[in-house]
Amino acid sequence: MPKFLHTADWQMGRAFTRFETEDGAALVEARFESIETLAQLANEHQCDAVLVAGDVFDAQTVSDRTIRRVFNATRAFAGPWVMLPGNHDAALAESVWTRAQRLGAVPENVHLALQPGVINLEQQSLSILCAPLTQRHTYCDLTEPFSGYESPEGFLRVGLAHGSVQGLLPDEIDSTNPIAPDRAEASRLDYLALGDWHGTKQIDERTWYSGTPEPERFRNNEAGNALIVEVAEAGATPTVTRITTGRYQWHQWRETLAVQSDLDQLLERLNALPESAVVDLRLEGSITLAGEETLLQALSVAEARFRSLRCERSGLQLAPTDEDIAALKADGYVGEVVESLRERQVGAQDDAARDALAILAGLLREREQEASQ
Amino acid sequence: MKLQRMRIEQLRQFRKPFVLDNLQPGLNLIHGPNESGKSTLVRAIRAAFFERYRSTAVDDLRPWGDSAAAPTVELDFEHEGLSWHLTKSFLQRKRCDLKVGTETYSEDDAEEKLAELLGYQYPKRGASKAEHWGIPGLLWVEQGTGQDIEQAIEHAGDHLKSALNSMVGEVASSGGDDLIETVRSQRDTLLTGKGSARGEYLQLKNDRAQYETEIEGLKDRVLKYQEQVDRLSKLTQDYDQAEAERPWEEAQRQLEQARAHYQQVERLEEQQAQEKATLGQLKQNHRLLQQNKEHLEGLSRQLEGRKADLDRAERDLATAQAQTPVIAGRLQEARTAYEQAEKQRKLAGLLQTRERLEQDVRRLEQQKQVLTQNLAKAKDYHQQLEQARQQARDNRIDAAAVKNLKTTANQLNEETIRSRTIATRLSWQLEAGASLTLNNEQLTGEGEQQLLEESTLVIPGVGTLGITPGGEELASTRRKLKTLEDSFAEQLKTLGVASVEQSEDRLSAFENAERAQKHAEDLLKSVAPAGIEQLVSEQSEAESGLEKAKSQLQATPEPDQKESVPALEEAEAAFVQASTALDKAEADEREHQSTLSTLKQARDNAKTEWQRLADEEKSPERQQQLRQITTDLANLEKQQTELQASLESREREIREARPDFLKQDIERYQNAVNQLRQTQENRGRELRDIKVRLEAWGAEGLEEQLNEKEAEYDQCNRRYQELHRRAQALDLLLNLLTEKRQALTRRLQAPLQKHLNHYLSVLFPEASLEVDEQLRPGTFSRGTELGQITELSFGAREQMGLISRLAYADLLREAGRPTLVILDDTLVHSDSERLEDMKRILFDAASRHQILLFTCHPEKWQDLGVAPLDIQASKEQSSQFV
Repeated sequence: MPKFLHTADWQMGRAFTRFETEDGAALVEARFESIETLAQLANEHQCDAVLVAGDVFDAQTVSDRTIRRVFNATRAFAGPWVMLPGNHDAALAESVWTRAQRLGAVPENVHLALQPGVINLEQQSLSILCAPLTQRHTYCDLTEPFSGYESPEGFLRVGLAHGSVQGLLPDEIDSTNPIAPDRAEASRLDYLALGDWHGTKQIDERTWYSGTPEPERFRNNEAGNALIVEVAEAGATPTVTRITTGRYQWHQWRETLAVQSDLDQLLERLNALPESAVVDLRLEGSITLAGEETLLQALSVAEARFRSLRCERSGLQLAPTDEDIAALKADGYVGEVVESLRERQVGAQDDAARDALAILAGLLREREQEASQ
Repeated sequence: MKLQRMRIEQLRQFRKPFVLDNLQPGLNLIHGPNESGKSTLVRAIRAAFFERYRSTAVDDLRPWGDSAAAPTVELDFEHEGLSWHLTKSFLQRKRCDLKVGTETYSEDDAEEKLAELLGYQYPKRGASKAEHWGIPGLLWVEQGTGQDIEQAIEHAGDHLKSALNSMVGEVASSGGDDLIETVRSQRDTLLTGKGSARGEYLQLKNDRAQYETEIEGLKDRVLKYQEQVDRLSKLTQDYDQAEAERPWEEAQRQLEQARAHYQQVERLEEQQAQEKATLGQLKQNHRLLQQNKEHLEGLSRQLEGRKADLDRAERDLATAQAQTPVIAGRLQEARTAYEQAEKQRKLAGLLQTRERLEQDVRRLEQQKQVLTQNLAKAKDYHQQLEQARQQARDNRIDAAAVKNLKTTANQLNEETIRSRTIATRLSWQLEAGASLTLNNEQLTGEGEQQLLEESTLVIPGVGTLGITPGGEELASTRRKLKTLEDSFAEQLKTLGVASVEQSEDRLSAFENAERAQKHAEDLLKSVAPAGIEQLVSEQSEAESGLEKAKSQLQATPEPDQKESVPALEEAEAAFVQASTALDKAEADEREHQSTLSTLKQARDNAKTEWQRLADEEKSPERQQQLRQITTDLANLEKQQTELQASLESREREIREARPDFLKQDIERYQNAVNQLRQTQENRGRELRDIKVRLEAWGAEGLEEQLNEKEAEYDQCNRRYQELHRRAQALDLLLNLLTEKRQALTRRLQAPLQKHLNHYLSVLFPEASLEVDEQLRPGTFSRGTELGQITELSFGAREQMGLISRLAYADLLREAGRPTLVILDDTLVHSDSERLEDMKRILFDAASRHQILLFTCHPEKWQDLGVAPLDIQASKEQSSQFV
């Protein structure tokens, strides 16, 4: 009973912006580890093959080291790997693949589907019908020739393609590399393994996007999985099992703070997140000085706990209450300055005024603390 | 705040308790000699407030040698209706107790309460220093520091502003200046004074730009790489297609075909060229034959021409010969006419000669007659001339001498008359017989004489009388007369005459003779101008000429027919005419003869020519040649026609084959072959190049690098943006703080100025002292003087310092703050006049503030109007109580 592992969109060679250097490096490292995880899974589930549906590499010109490390990471699974060039690593006249071959980095059990056609894995009785991208973008359906491909009697017909299934995916309606939604049926496929959509997504009973094994975006679309596909025999409906492979969970929250309870809720939710979270917060609305102090305190704790935490507060107005001001003991002309900054901030969304107020509040608090000691 | 009582114990020289009681609300003058403990009291007050009770740095309070002492200060004072009691002990017993009304404070609380009341700080550790003293530092003047107002104001700083709060509303801030300094120092780590980036901020800014440049460079290279990949793909495709199709082989085949075709045409062109050459030769032969034929046929025509020439020559000759007799006749006539004319001319010449000779004879005869007559007359006149000459010679006299003579005679007469008038006249009348002798002259009768000279008159019988005429003039007259008489006589003698009349007669005769001579000479000249001898010779010449003319006439023959002879001029003209006519006739004749001979020659030539041609024309060889040529010509023409037709068809053939296009085809196919091969080779070369290049570039991992670089940039940029925002915020904050603070200061300046002026007007009526933004007395002006306080003399500075402090005290009082003024031996440098003014000022200030004035010169302050407090006396008093 043939069984194989379906994965895609590794995007190796990608570096992460918007993170601290250390965090970015950790996220990159996690992607290499996810390949090892996949190999491990394939062994555990006794898979016949691992199919990678495109975008193994994030770019054509990644470093030699990255190339070698990717292939090295596959070592744990000795069975056949079939890797398909996607839009990021298209099989151009000169590509990351030709470089890998020149480097001698490609192990014998890794099949590179650099030309459209069928790769027959005789031992496993698998016919892999490949539709690699040979240009950066195509506007016709590369899987169309699948219907004309013959496969040996008794072999499973498994399509391997990279692109957008027409009419089903949001946001990518006019995207390139189109794939007909009924490809599996039209080309008599037992299974169509797709890549390009980074979240795990089922199109029909034989057609799936596996999604990327390790999330690399904040867009919350079910990333971080691999699929184990089992087909009883040619023509039978495949059994698809989703297995979580992702190490980090990416969360992007946009919150508007208005009253104290908003802040409390936010902090509760933050506390509830696991340590493997990568968090991106963007706060708007307004906050009192006391509230901000609480927030900063909480963020400081969370920063240490999570893999990465970033919080954008420029949209968050500082609105000191009268108690705030009283607590600061900002008398005399310093009090006037506080008032002036408050007004400016409300009037014209003045970032400098907001920051200035925060700094002043901080200094005054410090002074208070010193005095009280 | 009013200090009422003070008690100290175990403090320096006050080992025993000492109480200073009954302190007045206004001025208090406390005096004592040196070492009496005046400064200790001041120190005790300061210690009570400034030094922390638990401070270990107050050893100076300890009485000398007493290590077990616990220096203690007790103060009682009143403030805002409450009575305050402070007890503070140091060193061995560290305590601080404060009782305010009914409330009590102890230790630190008590100290904070005091600091808050007066406005000062405690040192964090060690002894209290000037910078901690705040407002008391300003109002409590230590010995010798009265002039250092600026430092004190600076230290009072925030306390002052905070204390003055109520005066200017809620504007002053506690600790605001520290805040400003903190903000400024934080801002200055990011921004320069002028607001440009510095430090890490600047570094990030530069790094960011550096990253941008690098990213741009990497993007460029990635783009180039991708272009090369695309190029590689295109090239590979083209190369493989070309290798499969081999288009250059097809082009090669077409090239060869075109070449074969062109060779055929070349052969045709060769044939055509040969035929064209043959045709050219034929045409040449034809032209030569034609010329020969034309030559032969031309002989008969020439012969006719020659005959006509001959005839014409003969005709011309005959015409000329016919004119010969006429011309000869004309010549004969001319000759006859010439001879006749010549004869006539000679005859006329002869006749003219004769007439001339006859005329000569007549003229000469007449001449001869005239000459003879003239000669006779000339002789006559000559004779007359001689006679006149003789006459002149006889009567010759000089006319001028005669004239002189006459003059002399007249003068003599005149002188004689004069002498008579002046002379002594002697008249006498004698009786008849009586005589007298005068100058030996006998005088008788009657008479008269004039005597000019001494005279002697002898009267006979009587004797002699001497008479001398008188006068000088008489003597000169007598001498002149004598001279004239002598001259007259002389002239007469010279002229040879006896009298004047005779001389005049002779002169008249002489002049007549001269006139006659002249007349005769003129006559002679009229008939014989050249003299008589000349006349005689002319006469003989005339005679001989006559003889000669007569003989010539006789020798000249007389013509026969006188009547038919023309005048000589006429004859001459006729002769010239005849001569000309003869010349003409002779020339005509000569010309005629020449023409005749020319014509004859021409006729002979023409005849010879004609004869020669006539002979040739008749020869049989010529006939034969002519026939042969005609035949040859016909043959040639036929050949030509055939050749022409052949050429035309050949040309059409070549034209239809389009050799120019064939040639271009060959070139084109050749180029195509080369180009196609070359292109393919180039492709191959480029393919290899690109592959090598891409391998190298690929190994660099450009996109990954770019990716990483972008991440780095992102980080750098994030940090930069943070700092940027922070810098902006700090800048804004600093500006706002300084702005507000300055506004506050400006509001505080006015009231301070008011109080300052109040005191200053006492000291210097015309002066003013400006308060600067830091509320310090700054510019001082007095009349035209202008300067800073610090430039004044020590004494003046001290005075200014004091009135400034008093002005501050007034300000603080208005703000409801305690204002105790302590002056320790102040104003020692003031002269008596200024000191007087300062006393008025102090007295005035004391109406508002409590003032403790410590001095060791109580005599200087006697007139202050308060009872001085003698420490020494108090000490003794205190010890009595204890």
